[in-house]
Amino acid sequence: MHWGRAYRDLREYAQLMDELGYDELWLSEHHFFYDGYCPALLPAAASVLSVTKNLRVGTGMLLLPMQDPHRLAVVAHDLNTRSGGRLDLGVGMGYRDIEFDGHGISRKQRLPRMLRGLEVLEAEQRAGGATLWMGAQLIDPVKRAGQHGHPILFSAALPVERCRTLAGVWEEGWNETGRSEPKPPLGALRNIWLTEDAEERAAARDWVRASYVQYAGLGWTLPAVGEHAQADFAEETDKAIQATVETTITGSADECVEQLREFEAMGIDHIAFRLMLDGAPRAAIESQIRRLATEVMPRLRAQVGSRA
Amino acid sequence: MRLGLVLPEGREHELARLAEEHGLFGVLAGSGNPLTAVNAAVYASTATEFARVIVRLHLGLEHPVIIAEELSVLDNVNNGRTVVLADTGELDEEAADDEVAVLREALASRPIQHEGPLWKVPAGLPANVTAPKSISVTPKPVQVEVPFWLTGRAAAAIGARRGLPVLAHSPADVDGAPLLQPARDAITGDLARDRDRLSTWAKAGVTYLLIDLPDGPVGDLMTNISRHLGPEVGMPHFPRVMSDSAVPLPWPGER
Repeated sequence: MHWGRAYRDLREYAQLMDELGYDELWLSEHHFFYDGYCPALLPAAASVLSVTKNLRVGTGMLLLPMQDPHRLAVVAHDLNTRSGGRLDLGVGMGYRDIEFDGHGISRKQRLPRMLRGLEVLEAEQRAGGATLWMGAQLIDPVKRAGQHGHPILFSAALPVERCRTLAGVWEEGWNETGRSEPKPPLGALRNIWLTEDAEERAAARDWVRASYVQYAGLGWTLPAVGEHAQADFAEETDKAIQATVETTITGSADECVEQLREFEAMGIDHIAFRLMLDGAPRAAIESQIRRLATEVMPRLRAQVGSRA
Repeated sequence: MRLGLVLPEGREHELARLAEEHGLFGVLAGSGNPLTAVNAAVYASTATEFARVIVRLHLGLEHPVIIAEELSVLDNVNNGRTVVLADTGELDEEAADDEVAVLREALASRPIQHEGPLWKVPAGLPANVTAPKSISVTPKPVQVEVPFWLTGRAAAAIGARRGLPVLAHSPADVDGAPLLQPARDAITGDLARDRDRLSTWAKAGVTYLLIDLPDGPVGDLMTNISRHLGPEVGMPHFPRVMSDSAVPLPWPGER
């Protein structure tokens, strides 16, 4: 697909989501990759925010150590203002040597740069700037996010049990500080495909498989956490990908809702459907956006409403 | 000579659409806060379909590879309508030239391996053990080559060295020889005075004039531009009877 077409599709999907009542759209970042993976999330977010009315747009995740946080804060503030406060600023650390080197940053500096950057963005949020979200999958940063009251968006590659463990860690961090303000949300990306058809289900699972081959190419490793083993997409590609495919939520609306309620039960109340899969044609993606909005989202909202 | 519009900060989406409706060749975004120029350009881009989006970039405020990545996304968002107007700002000539070099190399379709007085890309830092010796900024821009214009203190020297257009702010600065000569000026809203002013620019050899509007309502000004000023500098010996005749009646139905 032409990259220009991808950005046009993004705007059109976002407009459809806006019409259908979705709350949020999330964008992700990598650099210097052959497929044109988006390297600059705020311009991409601006393109969506400029053509939608209610949809929030989140960066999930913008790689903070590679940026000048003061400039980033100004740019995000401007975009949040232009869009009527609809920007969510999710930040993560990054892991690829080439991405750091291409921006003149030593990978060894990523943690201190991340912490310094967070201080700047936290101050900006306190001054009314965009809501800060965190992307993390290790104990310490997840706990820190809880302590600082930052929402988290978990990767779609995290199995359910690992999400449960990390949601608990975040909760511990939150409780330690004894804050009085309302608890921030927790979120999770999920591979999902609503279908009653066995052939479509097989195709969707294969699109998930294909989309995670990219993680092998990027050299990503899901590190060990407690009793959860490491998943090395570069060294144990087939095993890691297969384990991720197994986390895909597929089936009828009833089956999808049942599986999504597992996340609600662990306190994760923002679910980002990961539908932009390698091989999935536009008609199929649009169909999912519509079906999930009409057959799944109202039932989840009813559940949330009944608990409120 | 063709006319474009300088977009005031915060009104890019609204006025870019209006500029395109009135047939202007393009719009200049980023004339406000230098840090938020790309946001402004994206908002102008999604309001238009044909107009060129000239983004005024201040050099020296962020790593040029970050800026090149933002420009590349912008060019994909607007389907190849980006023009860069690089403002050399506070940089001296050597530093500005190095930054221009990195930006242009990063936007080209060849891996970068740059070592200049200001920047080394990739940096080759010892801790980044698996980083290769060259990188390629992706996605690539839609355009084969992104137009790159210059302004600021070091612009004339760099423009001469690299053969890049330099924005003129006075008719005396205009070089009538190149096929492309951009300029920027304000109009007043007084049609007679503006006619004289634009005629001077056209005679000097400017090809693209970016117009700052005076404060106030823009409707009548845009009509002046599209009905009088634009056509009059758009061809030699413009038959003014065309623009002085009555405006065609509007469609009486629902608008």
